Amino acid sequence: MRVIVRTVSELCITAGTLIVLFVAYVLFWTGVKADNEMHDQIDQLQRQWSASATVHPTTKASATAAAPAKPAAYHYGKPFAIMYIPRFGFTWNKPVLEGTGTDVLKKGLAHYARTAQLGQVGNFAVAGHRRTYGDPFLDFPKLRKGDAIVLTDGTTWFTYRIDKGPYKTVPTDVEVIDPVPRKSGYTRPGRYLTLTTCDPEWGHSHRLIVWAHLDSTQPVETGRPKALRR
Amino acid sequence: MYGWIWRHLPGNAWVRALLSLVLVLAVVYVLFQYVFPWAEPLLPFNDVTVDNQ
Repeated sequence: MRVIVRTVSELCITAGTLIVLFVAYVLFWTGVKADNEMHDQIDQLQRQWSASATVHPTTKASATAAAPAKPAAYHYGKPFAIMYIPRFGFTWNKPVLEGTGTDVLKKGLAHYARTAQLGQVGNFAVAGHRRTYGDPFLDFPKLRKGDAIVLTDGTTWFTYRIDKGPYKTVPTDVEVIDPVPRKSGYTRPGRYLTLTTCDPEWGHSHRLIVWAHLDSTQPVETGRPKALRR
Repeated sequence: MYGWIWRHLPGNAWVRALLSLVLVLAVVYVLFQYVFPWAEPLLPFNDVTVDNQ
């Protein structure tokens, strides 16, 4: 009898410890891992960019404001841009990787593979974690119309301005990343950006969306865009 | 269960305590490295896209 009681209580303690450890893993350890991973991705991008900058010095000097050169094809799971959102804080910057698999989302923000490329006509759509894995889009509901979303691909700064959002929808609403998303209020083709994350914070019943349009571009040689200067 | 492990560890109390600590660390390592990364995607925190890719 005593052996049974003891074994059962030991099992209960073990289960409790397991749960506490798992919560610690989800809340804390995924963040530590993701922060390291995102740091590595940004380092990798910057090394890549400084390497290619020495090979082709100032070839982008003639880039016009409205029509940046077509970027090279993206490769699944590889970073190609860095995103800055001043509303999330001046130190907030995250790598953007190609593809929206769960393995990609562990390393940074994820670009929907079938949507437009950065700065091109169409809808450049990006998904990110609201919670866990570094909480990149934790402050998503604080975004407002007119906020800047700045991206760089190593040669050009792209400044998008939010037109609408945060807009709450259901997970099956794939229209929100269409080239001309109907509910955003856009009626004509243009250079748009869509961000998606989950809502509520820890749930998956809904999605939060913001839409933005390309406001301005400038070559990296001219320095940081106005939206990023303090 | 834990009493059984304790009785089957070799050495005196200090050696046993040390071995237990090593065992606990090994279990935590396996959990964080293999078990939790497997279990975590079963929770909803990864669903951030609209097309469920």
